[in-house]
Amino acid sequence: MPALTDITNKIRESAKKLLASGQAEVVIGYRQGTIPMTTSPFFARTADECDLLVWSNFARINLANYLPGRAGKVAMVAKGCDARSAIGQVTENQILKDNLYIIGVPCTGMIDTNLVVAKEARPIREVVETADDSITVKGQGFSTDIKKDEVLRRNCKTCVNRTPKLANELVGQEVNGAAADDFADIKALLAKTPAERMGYFKDLIKDCLRCYACRNACPLCYCPVCFVDETRPQWLGKSTDPMDTMTFHLLRGLHCAGRCTSCGACETACPVNIKVREFNRVMELTVQNNWNYEPGLSWDQKPPLTMFQTDDAADFIK
Amino acid sequence: MSDFEPRIVAFFCNWCTYGAADLAGVSRLDYPPNFRVVRLPCTGRLNPKFIMEAFKRGADGVWVSGCHPGDCHYIAGNYHARRKFVLMHQLLESIGVEPDRLRFSWISSAEANKFQAMARDVVEHVKACGPNTTFRKEDLKLGLAEVA
Amino acid sequence: MSEYIVKENALVDFFKSLASGRRLLTPQGLGDKCKLEETPPDKVNLDFSNTHMSPKSLLFPQTEALMAFHNDASKPQAFVYQSLGDKGEPLAVFGIRPCDAKGLSIANKVFQNDRFTDNYWKGKIDQAVLVGLACDNPSPQCFCAAMGGSPFGEAGLDVLAFRQGKDLGLKPLTPKGEELVKASGAQTANLADAIKGLEAEAVKSQGVPPDYKGIDNADLMALFNDPHWLATAENCLNCGVCTFFCPTCHCFDIQDETSEKGGVRMRNWDTCMSWLFTVHGTGHNPRPSKTERVRQRFMHKLKYIPLKQDGVRGCTGCGRCVAMCPVNIDIRSVALKMTQTAASQA
Repeated sequence: MPALTDITNKIRESAKKLLASGQAEVVIGYRQGTIPMTTSPFFARTADECDLLVWSNFARINLANYLPGRAGKVAMVAKGCDARSAIGQVTENQILKDNLYIIGVPCTGMIDTNLVVAKEARPIREVVETADDSITVKGQGFSTDIKKDEVLRRNCKTCVNRTPKLANELVGQEVNGAAADDFADIKALLAKTPAERMGYFKDLIKDCLRCYACRNACPLCYCPVCFVDETRPQWLGKSTDPMDTMTFHLLRGLHCAGRCTSCGACETACPVNIKVREFNRVMELTVQNNWNYEPGLSWDQKPPLTMFQTDDAADFIK
Repeated sequence: MSDFEPRIVAFFCNWCTYGAADLAGVSRLDYPPNFRVVRLPCTGRLNPKFIMEAFKRGADGVWVSGCHPGDCHYIAGNYHARRKFVLMHQLLESIGVEPDRLRFSWISSAEANKFQAMARDVVEHVKACGPNTTFRKEDLKLGLAEVA
Repeated sequence: MSEYIVKENALVDFFKSLASGRRLLTPQGLGDKCKLEETPPDKVNLDFSNTHMSPKSLLFPQTEALMAFHNDASKPQAFVYQSLGDKGEPLAVFGIRPCDAKGLSIANKVFQNDRFTDNYWKGKIDQAVLVGLACDNPSPQCFCAAMGGSPFGEAGLDVLAFRQGKDLGLKPLTPKGEELVKASGAQTANLADAIKGLEAEAVKSQGVPPDYKGIDNADLMALFNDPHWLATAENCLNCGVCTFFCPTCHCFDIQDETSEKGGVRMRNWDTCMSWLFTVHGTGHNPRPSKTERVRQRFMHKLKYIPLKQDGVRGCTGCGRCVAMCPVNIDIRSVALKMTQTAASQA
């Protein structure tokens, strides 16, 4: 049986059991989307609804986004990165550990639709996902096989924690990810001159519409009022001014420092395909270098910005 | 460039660097007048938004200064601040802001001489960077030129 | 008005005539980079699906300065707001899809009606001539027919162009369009039957359009109070993607920005998906959760606008929100739920 179908069946089975036993009042998973290459977050509350849950190469939105502040017992379907986000939310007291049940899916990576469209520009009307290492896209008068490796999202290529090892249960065989994320892209970027870097980052966000899809798709962004929405004082102008846009991305990068699990939901959500994670990756590298911290790898770790060591290094402070 | 006088926003902790500035003043230690001070109860109060706001509004440099680690009036405020500074420093440097534009220091209220030296150093380095033209909001480029 | 035809070898001359005395904008670039750009007459591309974003920003930019003042007391009019006027200029826009043109015509009734006129919008639209290009191969996410439009729809356009083999057929729809086509030297031709044939084929490719008529006749409060909104909105992220990409969404927020040199009053796109959109000065928010905000968007598109604009729906079926929504909230599914509500009330 193809892995995706197998996982889908196990998710449904598990969801039904959880609902029947009262271990969960709702199971948050994915439903097939209405157009090709999409899924839609779905809240299953009855056995019939559980039969709509699917697993797919396009389950890209991070469902931990729906957890903060949720009352009652909840189960969520989670990739490695999503489970880490959920665990992070437990460490940040956004949801009780006892109320959370993680149906962990060992993940072989999600597909970037932009890369698919780059390979097959004709309108795609159907996607077949029966093979494990490739997909078949179909449209008027064509059918093209595309290797999954060639169209993976960039965060999936460097993913270390593909298997959500701390999940309450695993549906599927454990998958090994990369040995370590070497941050080669960020290090190459930092080797450039300041002027080049400034040019790079300004160019990166030039198309930004400030629709805030990245923020709203992010499981870390659960503030009741985001700093961009504050009005007294108003920190950010509402226009498309590049410096206001830059301020938004920088401060969001800072707010997510030491918390980002590279789930890529922000980049998936971005309607103009900005590599939003560049800011987060700079911060993740900094956090790892300074405090050797990676979020979501244990239930009781303390987020690095909530604590300190008296001998923290900061040579730049004179 | 030599006649360029930078405008620097300084965020000082009330309990130490602000006192050091005061002491430098009453001790008649002269230092360049290029910075405007915002007094904070503690550097832990410094939200990164403040730094961004200063640059956005055209500051040529930002200087943040507080108590030496271990000397915080609120026990641990500057320990927490220090971690935030690491991030802010690294993030702005990474996106290409000249490191000399954003400076951090620890100056106790007794260190008037250190304050004087640091003030001179900060101003000198920001001067060398020149006016901030790349990391600021352009002065209302929308429409203002048409009515001026 | 009769139809006209431009032969394949005369296309460049036709676009030259469009560009004479005006800026010629056409869709350029591929995929998410496809947008209306100034185009030399020999570089017009007829093989595109649609622009990534709707063309509304031509007439209603995301940020638009309305008035400004300066602080220089040595000059006249210091501290006095002066209108910046409209930024209109003679424009020929070629390649607007009928769904988007219909979107502009719906927004047009918001910005220009018997109660008031928005000069910033009017100044631009009055100087623009809009030449649409009919869709002979609609995308999978298109559903203009279901929303009462057509791949060959005419609303909002001055001229409808369509591909007639390798030639370009033209159907002028307004006096402005007629003048443009005549000046271009296109030959008259009777193409009414050809259009009907092409249109039928294009409509057929969208399948049998779902019937949403129930919504038009349904009681507004019944639609409003239906419990399905809770489930419909449950996975919404409340980002502004759908509204920013929508060709008919027209809400804006007016902001003043000041510096030491003066100030500008501008308007910026706003989105009803945002908490900030409706929050009052008191802190009270009449649309406190995403359920109310999602309901507002769909009720506005499918019920409030039709009530105000003689039954014309506020959705034109361009499919952008369907394609762009990060969580795949599909307006067609929502319309179906609303239709079911209507049926259960009847």
